[in-house]
Amino acid sequence: MDDRRDLWRMGWAAFCLGLPFLFVLAPIGTFILYSFWHNESGALVREFTLENYRAFFADPVFRNIYLQTVALCLGATIVNLVVGYAIALFASRRPPRLRFALILMFMLPLFTSYIIKVYAVRGILGHRGVLNELLLASGLISEPITAFIFSQSAIFLTFIVLYLPFAILPIYLSIERIPENLGTASADLGGSQMDEIRHIILPLSLPGVVVAALFNFVMTFGDFVTPTMVGGTEGFTFGRIVFSQFGVALNWPLGAALAVILLATSVLAVGVAGLAMRWSTAR
Amino acid sequence: MNQRSDVLTLEAVGKSFGSTTVLRDITLSVASNEFLTILGPSGSGKTTILRLIAGFEAPTTGRIMLDGADISQMPINRRPFNTVFQDYALFPHLSVRRNVGYGLMVRGVPKAEIEPRVEAVLAIVGLQDYALRLPRELSGGQRQRVALARAIICEPRVILLDEPLAALDVALRAQMCKFLKDIQRRLDIAFVFITHDQQEAIAMSDRIVVMRDGRIEQIGGPEELYAFPASRFVAGFFGENNLIDGVVGAVDGARCKVETPIGPLWGSARGPAAVAGAEVHLAIRPEALVLGATDGHRFVVRDAQFAGPTTLIEAQGVVAPEVTLRLRVPSGGTRALPAVGDVVAIGWSETDARVIAAEGSNG
Amino acid sequence: MKQRSGLFDLVLGTLALVSLVIIYAPLAVVWVFSNWQPVRVRGALQLAPFSWDSYVALTRNADILGALGTTLLVGLVSMLLALILATTFAMYYWRTAGVSRQIMQALVFLPFLLPPIVVGLSLLIAFRELDATRGAFTIVVGHTVLLVPVVYRLVLTRLNSLSPSLTEASLDLGASQWQTFRHILLPQLGSALLAGALLGFAISFDETMVTLFLSGSTSTLPIRLWSMMRLGFVPEINALATLVVVAAALATAVFGVMQLSGKRGER
Repeated sequence: MDDRRDLWRMGWAAFCLGLPFLFVLAPIGTFILYSFWHNESGALVREFTLENYRAFFADPVFRNIYLQTVALCLGATIVNLVVGYAIALFASRRPPRLRFALILMFMLPLFTSYIIKVYAVRGILGHRGVLNELLLASGLISEPITAFIFSQSAIFLTFIVLYLPFAILPIYLSIERIPENLGTASADLGGSQMDEIRHIILPLSLPGVVVAALFNFVMTFGDFVTPTMVGGTEGFTFGRIVFSQFGVALNWPLGAALAVILLATSVLAVGVAGLAMRWSTAR
Repeated sequence: MNQRSDVLTLEAVGKSFGSTTVLRDITLSVASNEFLTILGPSGSGKTTILRLIAGFEAPTTGRIMLDGADISQMPINRRPFNTVFQDYALFPHLSVRRNVGYGLMVRGVPKAEIEPRVEAVLAIVGLQDYALRLPRELSGGQRQRVALARAIICEPRVILLDEPLAALDVALRAQMCKFLKDIQRRLDIAFVFITHDQQEAIAMSDRIVVMRDGRIEQIGGPEELYAFPASRFVAGFFGENNLIDGVVGAVDGARCKVETPIGPLWGSARGPAAVAGAEVHLAIRPEALVLGATDGHRFVVRDAQFAGPTTLIEAQGVVAPEVTLRLRVPSGGTRALPAVGDVVAIGWSETDARVIAAEGSNG
Repeated sequence: MKQRSGLFDLVLGTLALVSLVIIYAPLAVVWVFSNWQPVRVRGALQLAPFSWDSYVALTRNADILGALGTTLLVGLVSMLLALILATTFAMYYWRTAGVSRQIMQALVFLPFLLPPIVVGLSLLIAFRELDATRGAFTIVVGHTVLLVPVVYRLVLTRLNSLSPSLTEASLDLGASQWQTFRHILLPQLGSALLAGALLGFAISFDETMVTLFLSGSTSTLPIRLWSMMRLGFVPEINALATLVVVAAALATAVFGVMQLSGKRGER
């Protein structure tokens, strides 16, 4: 009777370890393996090589696009941080019911479809999109501005529309966590509103800012759908290059290697965030 | 003497968690219809014994025997014991009647049979009108009775109770003590009760197992433990005791002469403490001391504390100032109370003086 | 009473308002276009009068409806699979100790922590190595892998909040491990499972990046929209988009109401 029990236990353990191994570890392992193989005349050659990585580090095109993408994502992140912080701060200074309503309003778009949002932004930014039509109708411009769409700036703007709510929430939560009486103490000691914000709220909410920055950067850096949809030929990001290796370019090993680099970048971002966290809460 | 049939036996049971040993060499037996209390301070291992009996843990050494068969490795759900948990562990999503009927339901007892049995058991604990309530709608005392009913209905050989009265207020506790004892007598099965409160132990138990640091200090009935504590620890656990240090001089059957700072004193001794040359305490209850005894020893009153019906007097030996005695005298009464500084004679009967082993010596 | 810097708040407030407009504008435009279809009149953009035409056309567009059906099916299947698997894994973690459960948990969380592009291409590569054809099956696998960590987290949190004496009491009363799970633990997990189901379904419904790698010729709704965005539009898209947004808003509202209302009990 006890043997049956032990058998059940072993089966359960095998199931719970086996499935994740099969569906998570094995694919990831294979993907990393692929990055060390290469394609020869369309066929996969399973021999160890560092060719793909060499290609990345040596080829200036790859390098430039990579750095451009990093800059793009950092830029969008910074904008979202600043705007997100302002919004979170504004909400935190309102009475509780209004506060909740405000945050809810900003969070609501998160629950709508991602791809529909991209589609919608494209509609606005396009050559004959709403934005251009409005500007034309109001007489501010005489020709539609083409720079709005299918460009790096289009990606930039879309990133902001898509990912701003992700920045607001962590910052808001960390501001909320600051005890009320600290502000009162500051006022009691003669500090102004600006002092309170600069010396109390800002430093104590830094962990939330770090989290918001991390989310924003990692999500934008890995997003290849938006750049494809609104980037056109000018807006080529690193994510798009990775994706295209699995599409038309059909160079899976290279794609895998580039994806490893993308992953490494995300991991690096996490590490930086971790350090920033420690720095911001040390003193 | 009643023929005692033991249902449960622990033989040299020990339990360790990693490198920490929680129980050492526990040997005890539970008679089939006795109310056994395991008494000890927190950390003494008493809860661990309960968990070993119930099957939540397995012993590291030793055996647990049921009717002579080794059940040390038997899984929880096959042991014929049921537990009343300290936090009652009532299933929050089930009503009282479904909670109580749970043990029968999982055994496949048909619903038609479960219902009347649940009703009967609820009547025993006095909760017939609460069958449809949910646990969160009950008071602490009611929840505890549901937990008890749930354990009773499965007709176990032993009911294990893990400090069930700890969460109740003092007044309710006294009530529940009586209630539990009544139920145990009615059901005529064994109850193993865990507590750190000696009053509960004295009130309900047929026998008490006093635990300390994972070992059994003493096993006995309440009167026996009160009157004949085997060690200083047990003596201190049950009410107050005066302890006079000394060395055994002579042994005469059940009597011992103990050389103490206030002179040679005779006391009654049982067990290994009564060996010539052994370091012992002479233990005397405050209520056994008599003020103004004709052959009493001379003491100086140092403190007299009025405590309502009695007054607690603390007196220091004249001959040996390191010996302090505390005694209780009725506050009112014909004799006047001694004042601080008075010299009084304090005496006691030899049979009220117990010889117990001193700490640190093997006794 | 705190002193309020009026100017400061005004600046913040304006910024917030502008951001709000920017975030909602796309959705508003989509809705407007669904009911007031945009037409080109001599090169300029104009809005046709209010009509439900695009919604009607939606019901006739077999293409989109097919994709919608696939999305719903995939969502349902992935959600159910994720519920079963995640609960099994969470129970394993909760009931065992040692290094094996930590390894399992790390692997379970990994797809949630990795960028979706990495998850997508890893599965694609794995399927290719196994010579599996891409289709609904591979999409379901991909979605399940994404949903399991979410549900796992919800279920495990709930399990950890349960008193261990509940399981002990059940066993003590004679129940087997399975009976304990079925009668005592599963009811306690109800709220976590429901939340996991809703959240999981929502995530699967909208999933784009991983699905792009795994879809082959089958299309879920996001995939359909993707290909339409590259090739060409139909007005029904606006109707569909509006409906999706409304559905999401309703679901959130229902979810919120559910969280606020109390718990029931079995009498």
